[in-house]
Amino acid sequence: MSEQVDTRAFFSQGIEECMDPLYGVALRLTRNREDAEDLVAEAVAKAWSAIGSLQDRTRFRSWLFRILHNHFVTDYRKKSIRPQEEHVEEAFIDEGEGDVVSILDEQSDEFLKWWATPEKALYNKLLGEQIMSAIDGLPDAFRVTILLVNVEGLGYDEAAEVLGVPTGTVRSRMKRGRTLPQKALWREAKEAGLTTAGVEGGAEA
Amino acid sequence: MSTEENHSHTPDIGCLAALEAFYAYIDGELDDPGSIADFEHHMAHCRSCFSRAEIERALTSHMKKSGKSSAPEALRSRLRNLMAKF
Repeated sequence: MSEQVDTRAFFSQGIEECMDPLYGVALRLTRNREDAEDLVAEAVAKAWSAIGSLQDRTRFRSWLFRILHNHFVTDYRKKSIRPQEEHVEEAFIDEGEGDVVSILDEQSDEFLKWWATPEKALYNKLLGEQIMSAIDGLPDAFRVTILLVNVEGLGYDEAAEVLGVPTGTVRSRMKRGRTLPQKALWREAKEAGLTTAGVEGGAEA
Repeated sequence: MSTEENHSHTPDIGCLAALEAFYAYIDGELDDPGSIADFEHHMAHCRSCFSRAEIERALTSHMKKSGKSSAPEALRSRLRNLMAKF
């Protein structure tokens, strides 16, 4: 098999295996199915033209995610950035190394008492959609970091490589980015009447 | 929050330090065996932190299940057509 044929076969197989994760990340980035499909197709075309830059074939997936993310940041986001999102992102940005970013410092006592009390019934009543909806509300940088780590299963180092940021930044985003889904759960729990039992000592709801 | 009345010699790291390591531990990113042991020691003695960890694990598990998407057939065909031209 010639080198070119081998490279093409390797690339095609890699893309076949990555179609779902690529689309999943693109969908959460663009929040739009058509844009997500375009983003993936354009990223795949870019990846093929840059295949010579892939040094280690075992890192194909993270290399591909990086191309997708870079294409989103340089092309897509410029076209459609929402002013209010920039504002939200500023409020989230706190990525100092060594900074103890404590969710304890940011939440109300009522929330914390509830959060510290396992409420198993809650999980049966909440839909995953509500959690993902909360994730969709995060600024891009936090949303994509959580997706890569928690949904696609990348390690912090690998996610940092994809995003072109230090590992400490990924670590920080994983902490801060989780506060919004937590608040969404809290809101749902309150609406479902599940918070009183939790706060008063963990009785079954 | 936690009390240290057992007979081990492991000092408790306290809730603040545990919180700092919290997500890295849940995400499997705490590499240093000593740090893991310290964290697990605290979790074994602090009901509040242990409970919060249980909720975080459930939340992470929900995210993993809910966040998966399947590429539409139209996109699969589009990519295969694209790759056929390479």
